[in-house]
Amino acid sequence: MRTVTAIPARMILLLLVWWVLTEGNLSGLAFGLAVVVPVAMVSVYLFPPGARRIRIVPFLLFVLFFLGRSVVAGIDVARRLLSPSLPANPGYLTFDLELPEGGPRWLLANALSLTPGTLSVTLDGARLDLHCLDTRDPVEEEVRAVERRVAGVFGLPADNWREKGGEVG
Amino acid sequence: MDAVVPWVQGILLMIGCAFFAIGTFGLFRFTDTLTRIHALTKVDNLGLGFIALALLFSAPSLAVAMKIALIWVVALAASATSAHLVARAVRAQEQDRAATREPHD
Repeated sequence: MRTVTAIPARMILLLLVWWVLTEGNLSGLAFGLAVVVPVAMVSVYLFPPGARRIRIVPFLLFVLFFLGRSVVAGIDVARRLLSPSLPANPGYLTFDLELPEGGPRWLLANALSLTPGTLSVTLDGARLDLHCLDTRDPVEEEVRAVERRVAGVFGLPADNWREKGGEVG
Repeated sequence: MDAVVPWVQGILLMIGCAFFAIGTFGLFRFTDTLTRIHALTKVDNLGLGFIALALLFSAPSLAVAMKIALIWVVALAASATSAHLVARAVRAQEQDRAATREPHD
């Protein structure tokens, strides 16, 4: 059932992308349709729709949060680079994720690569290795903040995965 | 109002270019691969963001504006993915080296 609704939904999304790519020129629409239909079908085969739906409002809030954090991240690195003493204390930190596997972990790992001071290195099951620009920074708080928001995007109940995260405060 | 727009655009473009320059500067100042990736992904992302924002003001249509935004989003995804891949390769190499060194020492 999920697959049946996923194909038209992805076709609409891909058509929107096509419309954007052709800058609204309708003369390319026939070619676009000829590409969009098979691509949507193959995409469902290659990337089967997940069991979890993305919640629109938390997703938009996540995008805003992410944009804000990525601006902070850029300014943070720029500030370190321009400082004569080059303040940095790089190192690895490992975290046990409480998010379920699949989309949520993937989104978290990618988002963390662009949030201040963290870079996802390996994601092995629930274990995420991060390279940190400065291990003295409150990396744990950053990770848990992003994790909490990713959980919201996928509509995961907060108490379900926050029980173990209680020690983070 | 119309007279202000080019100025705002110019300032945003300069901020964007400054971030690109700083990101590239980071390539020289930082000494190991992983910290260099921090500089390149995060700072360049911001540089491209400011440039895209500046160009949004002169987009002739909604589709073109969305195209500019899409370019930034795709570059963002590519930068996060390639950063992760390079970092993973570096980590694997380090672990390989550590594993081969130990028996000899």
